[in-house]
Amino acid sequence: MATRVEAPASSNVLDYDYSSFFYSSSDDPFAILEPYNEWYNRATRQGYYLFAQPMSTPPAARISLEEQLHNRTVPLLNLSSYNYLGLSYRPEVIEAAKRALDKYGLGAAGSPILSGTMDIHVELEEAIAKFKGKEAAMVFPTGYSTNVGMISGLMRPGDWIIADQNSHASIVDGAILSKANVRFFRHNNVADLEKKLRQTTGKKLVAVEGIYSMDGDVCPLPDIVDVCKRYGARILLDEAHSCFVYGPNGRGVAEHYGLHEEIDIHIGTFSKALGGQGGYVASSRGLYNYLKGFARSRVFSCSLSPVVAAGVLESLKLAQQEPQLRETLWKNVAHIRKRLDAEGVDVGDSTSQIFPVMIRNDRRVFEIGHKLLRAGLYLQPIIYPAVAKHRSRFRVSVSASHTFEQLDEGVSILARVLREEGIIL
Amino acid sequence: MSDNGFVQYHYRDAIGGFFEFPTENARALLPQDLQPIEPHHGSSVLSVMAFDFHDSPVGSYGELILSILTAPRVEQGQPWPRSAFFPFRLATTTRESREHAIERWHLPHYMKDIDLRWDRGDGHVTIHATERGQPIVDMTVTEFEWSEVEHRYQAFMHDDEGFYSSTIVMKGLFSENEEEKGGIVIHTQAMTELLEDWELTTTPFRELWMKNGVQTFHPLQQLASYARR
Repeated sequence: MATRVEAPASSNVLDYDYSSFFYSSSDDPFAILEPYNEWYNRATRQGYYLFAQPMSTPPAARISLEEQLHNRTVPLLNLSSYNYLGLSYRPEVIEAAKRALDKYGLGAAGSPILSGTMDIHVELEEAIAKFKGKEAAMVFPTGYSTNVGMISGLMRPGDWIIADQNSHASIVDGAILSKANVRFFRHNNVADLEKKLRQTTGKKLVAVEGIYSMDGDVCPLPDIVDVCKRYGARILLDEAHSCFVYGPNGRGVAEHYGLHEEIDIHIGTFSKALGGQGGYVASSRGLYNYLKGFARSRVFSCSLSPVVAAGVLESLKLAQQEPQLRETLWKNVAHIRKRLDAEGVDVGDSTSQIFPVMIRNDRRVFEIGHKLLRAGLYLQPIIYPAVAKHRSRFRVSVSASHTFEQLDEGVSILARVLREEGIIL
Repeated sequence: MSDNGFVQYHYRDAIGGFFEFPTENARALLPQDLQPIEPHHGSSVLSVMAFDFHDSPVGSYGELILSILTAPRVEQGQPWPRSAFFPFRLATTTRESREHAIERWHLPHYMKDIDLRWDRGDGHVTIHATERGQPIVDMTVTEFEWSEVEHRYQAFMHDDEGFYSSTIVMKGLFSENEEEKGGIVIHTQAMTELLEDWELTTTPFRELWMKNGVQTFHPLQQLASYARR
C-alpha cells in the first residue's frame, strides 16, 4: 500500500471531450491551446477525427472527398448531406445565382436595417411569408442566427423558455443570450413538459423542433400544442429539417398534423431541403417589426448574400412547382427503410428522411467509419457529446436525388461492413 | 499513508450516479472560481458516489460522497484530468476514516457514522445508506461493458484553512452508461437537507460502476486563487 504511483504514460483520447479543455490553470488565455491541440492532434493521428473533411464536388449523390488521414482524394457515394430535395446543384438554381451575381455582385455590403436590404431580399421574404401562409417572414443570414436572434430578441430576464433537451444549439444559445429562465424537458416527453410548465409563472415560450436531427424522430406536436394552450405558453417550432419536406404542401410538420395555425413562431432554414444558406422566422407583421429592431444577430450581421438569396428563391419556386420531389424523397425513404430493416440495421426511432445507424460503441464507430470510406460510402460518425455516451451512430440523410440503385448500393456497403464488424448478424 | 504524499484506497465496488439540478443551486455552493459542468444550459450535475473500501490506511470502510461536477483545470505539461468535482458532503461508516479524510484531505464531512448496505444483483447494484436505521439515500446503477481503465480526476476542496486540490487516479474495472436504467431516492435527513429544495432528477443520465480497483490520492495542493463565496 501507499507505493509511489507514476502518472499514466498515455491516456485514451476518447476519455476526454471538449468540457475537459474548458479551463487552464494559467492566467494566460492561450495556455489552454497547447494541451487542447495535443489532444486534437493525437485524436486526428489515431483516426478519431473524421470531421470537416473537405469535399471537392457539389453535395450530390456521388462526391469526391479529400480524406485527410491518408491525404488522398476518394470518390464516394454520399449519404451524409442535407440536400433533401437535391436542389443545391439544380441548373435553374445555379443560373439564378449567376444572374444575381451579375446584377448585384457578391455581397450585400451592409446590415439589413442599413444599406444591406436589396429587392431580392424583400422578394424572398414575401415569398416565404406567402408559402408559410403568414403575415410576414424575416430572413436571417444563417439558421443559427435565426434562433439566436428570434429568441434573444423577444424573451427577457424573468421570462421562461422551456425547450426539448435535444434542442439545437441555436435554441440553447438564444435562450442563454436572452437571460430568461431556461428549463429543458425530457426529449419528446409531454408529461415532463407539462410538469415544467406547471412550475413556471409569467411569460412562457416553448421551443420544439419538427424533426430532431440526431435521431430523425418527429415531435409529438398535437400533445405539445394541447399542453401549451392549457398553460398559456407561446410555441416556437423549428422546422429546419422538416420544412419543404413534410406536409401536403411541404410547409412542414405543423401542416402534416393540421396544426399550422396553432404555431406562434415558425422557424426554418434554407440550408437543408432548399440547398442554400440562411433561415427565416414566419409569423405576424407585429413580430416582424419588433424583431427588426431587437434581433441583434440579424441587425448586426451583413445581409444574406444576394447571390444566395436568388438561389434560395429559385429553390423555393422549384420546391413548390415540383411536388414530385417530395414524393420521390418519400419513396426513397420507404425504399431504404425496407432495405435497412431487411438487413437488420438498428435505426432507432426514426420516422423521417434522417436515419441514425446505431453502433453504440464510441471507439468502434471511427474504425467502422474508415472502413466505410475505404468501401466507398460517405457517412458521418456522431459521438458523445453530440449524443449520449454509447449511443454513437452514423447518420444517413436521404435525398430525392438518390436513385434506388444508389440507395441499394449504400445499404449493401453498410450491411457488409456492419456484418464484418459484428454489429449486425 | 506514505511519506511521498500518495495514498491508496482499495475498493471492492464503487458506484456513481450523475443527476441534473438547477445551476443556481450549484453556484450557491461552489467557490466562485469553480465552474459547474452543464449538460444542458441551466442544469448542473450532482454526483452521488458510494465506495466499499476493503483496504486503506484506516482499514475497511464505506463512504458516500455528494459532489458537484466542475470543469477541470488543465495544466501545461501535465496529464489531463478526465473530469473534476467539488465534494460538498461526505459520510463514512467509521470515525477513523472520517477523521483521516478531514485531516488529510480537508473533505467536508457529515459528522455521524452511517451504514452502507450493498445489494448486488444481476447486472445492477443498489446501495442503501442509513444512519441509525433512518434512510438517507437509496441508489441503483446498472452495468454495461467492463474494461480495465486508469482514469485521472481532480477534486477541489475547501475548509476554514484554505482551498485545495488533489489528483485522484482510479484504476480497475470500469463500466459506464447513459441508458437511464438506474435511479435514486433521497430521503429527508440531516445529511441530505441541502438537497431538499433542489429540482433534482431522480434518473441518472450517467451511471458508473467500478470494481476491484484502487483509488490513489496524489499529494494535496494548496490553492491561492480560489476565493470563497
